[in-house]
Amino acid sequence: MKLTTKTIIYYLLISLPLLLIAGLFSYYLISSELKDGTDEALFKEKINCEKQIQLFNQPKIIYLSLDSLSSIKPIVFTKNKFFYIDTLIYDKLEGEPLNLRILKSFYTTKNQSYLITLSKPTLEDDELMEGLYSAFALIISFLLIAFFVVNWFIAKILWKPFYTTLQQLNNYDLKNNAFTNFKNVSTKEFQQLNVALNKMTEKIYLDYAQQKQFTENASHEMQTPLAIIKIALDNLFQSPNLKEEELLILQNIESATNKLSQLNKALLLLTKIENNQFNTSQKINLNALITRLVNDYQLIYEAKNVSLSLVLNQEITIQLNPILAELLIGNLINNAYKHNMANGTIEIKLENNSFIISNSGNELSFNKNDLFKRFKKDDTSKDSLGLGLAIVKSITDNYNYTILYTDTNSQHVFTLKFN
Amino acid sequence: MKILLIEDEPDLRKAIKLFLHNEGYTIESADDFVKALEKINNYSYDCILVDVTLPKGNGLDIVKHLKACNSKAGIIVISAKNSLDDKIEGLDIGADDYLPKPFHLSELNARIKSLIRRRNFDGNKNIVLNEISINPENRSVSVNNEEVILTSKEYDLLLYFISNKNRVLSKANIAEHLVGDHADQIDNHDFIYTHLKNLRKKLIEKGCTDYVQTIYGIGYNFKIL
Repeated sequence: MKLTTKTIIYYLLISLPLLLIAGLFSYYLISSELKDGTDEALFKEKINCEKQIQLFNQPKIIYLSLDSLSSIKPIVFTKNKFFYIDTLIYDKLEGEPLNLRILKSFYTTKNQSYLITLSKPTLEDDELMEGLYSAFALIISFLLIAFFVVNWFIAKILWKPFYTTLQQLNNYDLKNNAFTNFKNVSTKEFQQLNVALNKMTEKIYLDYAQQKQFTENASHEMQTPLAIIKIALDNLFQSPNLKEEELLILQNIESATNKLSQLNKALLLLTKIENNQFNTSQKINLNALITRLVNDYQLIYEAKNVSLSLVLNQEITIQLNPILAELLIGNLINNAYKHNMANGTIEIKLENNSFIISNSGNELSFNKNDLFKRFKKDDTSKDSLGLGLAIVKSITDNYNYTILYTDTNSQHVFTLKFN
Repeated sequence: MKILLIEDEPDLRKAIKLFLHNEGYTIESADDFVKALEKINNYSYDCILVDVTLPKGNGLDIVKHLKACNSKAGIIVISAKNSLDDKIEGLDIGADDYLPKPFHLSELNARIKSLIRRRNFDGNKNIVLNEISINPENRSVSVNNEEVILTSKEYDLLLYFISNKNRVLSKANIAEHLVGDHADQIDNHDFIYTHLKNLRKKLIEKGCTDYVQTIYGIGYNFKIL
């Protein structure tokens, strides 16, 4: 939810109960003021009536209104007193009940008592409520409009630097941008935010660059000692007096060394792909590349007796570094062979601007979302480095291709889409 | 046969020198750029092995220098960078071969032999070993003057064995040689068994002695007594 929307909701949540209380308060205030006003008017009339009575020569009945609700009537002697009553009568003219405030007063003059009855219609409760409702509805709508206008204004002007910063952060990509300069702004808080962000992105970038450099240097430095171990082993193997157990130990050392060396090369390769160090590219015909690689891998995995079908329906040419192209396609083909079963199948298709390779094989022993992660490998493939598909993913990420994995009917399908 | 090794890492230099010496080459070495240039300018070599990263300079500049003065020496670039860019650049400026570190000595041996064969146009081009004769130019093999039809991998295997005769070669070593550029993606070396089995069968069929000795757990030795 947007900040401005949230602000408006909070404003409304606070102002609605306040308005309700104000409404009730106004209702009681207005209705009691109205009553006081009516009473005062009736009282004034009573005094006028009393003045008139004093002018009477003899007692008589006087009707003060057509509906005979207000009248002066002579009665038997009573003490002077007056009181107000509220009553409801049916108004024939309007066809609805009418609220009346009635003043009854007993007045005695010249040994004759009179009953003065004075009535005044008062505002009905529902009419008063109705009026209040409309007034408050109007106030609320004005408030809403005002909230929106003010918030829009605040968002446009006050929060503008914040949204600019947000946009910059969204666009920030560690791989492509060295530093992002969050500009100086006049609002203190936003200025503090930008200063903090400048500091933070700079630190992150430096750490990132340092780490990249470290990976590259470390891998590089490891090559020479590995070369020495390999050569020393080669020489040791030639020794004529080695016992069988010793040979087996040497063999263990050799396979571990080879694995280390492969691992090292793969990590170095990943770093280089991510650092965009393969920047030269050329036109590559995938059909020719696939045919060549398939031949190579077929020879390597001959013993598995996998049957392969090539359906190259489309001639696809991509613009890519030749080494990366070979890694991209080669790793996928190798993967399809490596994780295949004996007498299994591989199908390779080129269509709809896509390279689709599917192979038979056991189900994955891990979540398929982890398939392209580094060092993720099946429990059964102990010798595998678990970096082949990570390299594929790294290449597709860097060159905006998409790679998709699906498994249907124990077929593992990889779809590599070129734009 | 005179070889110059330009390598700054002392252990590596020593091991390679020892190995090439045992293979019967005359071997000299230089451990930095300046010393290497000095040797190149003063003597002539049949083959020069040059590391790319050197103290006081870049190995590729040595290759350029050799080419500029029309040296007849065969050049193999060795690089710890494992950078295929180095390979492309090295071959572009005139190196004959490229070997990424870490490598097997037998691989280096095979490359040197192949390089020398290619440079040695005069004399017998065929490699002859007892009853086996190989013509590297058209990749054909004959036993007792009778041609043996080999697949490409079988041919590579035989040539690698003969280049490294009487040496124990581990399965990983042979596999790396056969697979070439894809070596880093291969984690199972069993495939060489199929190729080796077929190669042995074809050779024996033509009356060839079975020179391949299996070294339990390790690999093979092409033993010529």
